[in-house]
Amino acid sequence: MSPQFVDFDADGQLDIVAGIFDGSPHVSRGSKQGWQKPEQILGRDGARIVLNAFWNFDTKKWDSTHAYDAPGHEGEAHATSTLAFDVDGDGDLDLLLGDHESGRVFWRRNDGAPGKPAFDLVNQPVTAAGARIDVPGTVATMRLVDWNGDGKQDLACGSMGGSFGDGEGGGVWVWPNVGDGKAAAWGAPIELIARSQQDHVGDAPARPDAGLYMDFGDVDGDGDLDLLVGAYSHWRASPKPLDAAQQERVAALQAALKDCDARFQQVLKEVNDGLGDAAGEARSKLYTERYKARQSDFQAIGKDRSAAQKELDTLVPPRQRKSFVWLYENLAAKKNAAPAK
Amino acid sequence: MRPLLLPLLACAAATAVAQAPQFAPPVRLKAGDKFLGEGRLYPSPVLHDLDGEGRVDVVVGDLIGVLTVAPRANAAAGTPAYGSETKVLAADGQPLDFDNW
Repeated sequence: MSPQFVDFDADGQLDIVAGIFDGSPHVSRGSKQGWQKPEQILGRDGARIVLNAFWNFDTKKWDSTHAYDAPGHEGEAHATSTLAFDVDGDGDLDLLLGDHESGRVFWRRNDGAPGKPAFDLVNQPVTAAGARIDVPGTVATMRLVDWNGDGKQDLACGSMGGSFGDGEGGGVWVWPNVGDGKAAAWGAPIELIARSQQDHVGDAPARPDAGLYMDFGDVDGDGDLDLLVGAYSHWRASPKPLDAAQQERVAALQAALKDCDARFQQVLKEVNDGLGDAAGEARSKLYTERYKARQSDFQAIGKDRSAAQKELDTLVPPRQRKSFVWLYENLAAKKNAAPAK
Repeated sequence: MRPLLLPLLACAAATAVAQAPQFAPPVRLKAGDKFLGEGRLYPSPVLHDLDGEGRVDVVVGDLIGVLTVAPRANAAAGTPAYGSETKVLAADGQPLDFDNW
């Protein structure tokens, strides 16, 4: 979730709007007594707002719908980030929805009025400079910021990237608002933070690598916009020199790990192979029984794998993964970035 | 499953322009004597004066729906310093929790 402080219900009190992993936007309404219990934001049909994927609270399973797709929609989108923003300049707050499964951003038009929302039933894709917005590395979060100082709210997006250090990491971009000052229109993006290569070697992390959730503000009071970025960092301590025997041991341990993985897959295959044509609840029940029957095998494999990994880590520094919040101090000093035109 | 993306569609990201601002190398922020957001599941900071005392605090959300706040501990100018994180409370005095998933 990435909270947004905004007067969603136009009652003069700030509320907290946030998309969460269940696939829907939520709001905790502010009051004189404090923050109220978060509730789902609903469409004008009274149903929760979703893209495609959502957690079904009735079946307690992941579910999907295409009831709100715009014509030409492709794939399974999963909204985990939300911004309340007057996209069309009609005086009420629409909803921007970020897709965790791709780099797409959608919006739900509000046909109501301030404090009396009536969100349309179609997820419209958001475009920029004539093309669909496609955040490299899938959308982690979105923020509104007047990055170029022209008085209009620009759209910033941080991306996920390989969350466990796999492949390219996340970055941050801003799509400048090139609209007429009323309805928003987005121009070509400016890269603020390049995607991480997730290959840092050192005793400490060097940057936010994956799952970049940012916000903007002049935190050092020098007149320009700095970035705060929450994210996972991935790094590996500098390798130490190994003698021939140690190198041989590393190779043996790596082979042992591969063997453990193969054994695990084999046992899992044997569990699944015995399911036959069973379906539905019967299949789930049978799977549980068969899995439990092989629990000692899984435990033995896990024990072997853990021991091999533990010894390997003493020879080859393992990859580290930890989350932090980082400060990117803007050095522009009262100039910000070059205006995007 | 239908293909996720239309391969022939142009993507706005592909036209990103090189107008990157200059940032100092990133540094990890601290809240009290700990790193801000350390160990949280996908920490998402937002700058907001939560206590209304005129200084901008950092509110941090996460995947499981918990919100914490690290109060700004020094003046608005210069390197920011923040106090220890505490949970943001709801009107009922309990931690505000967006976890209904």
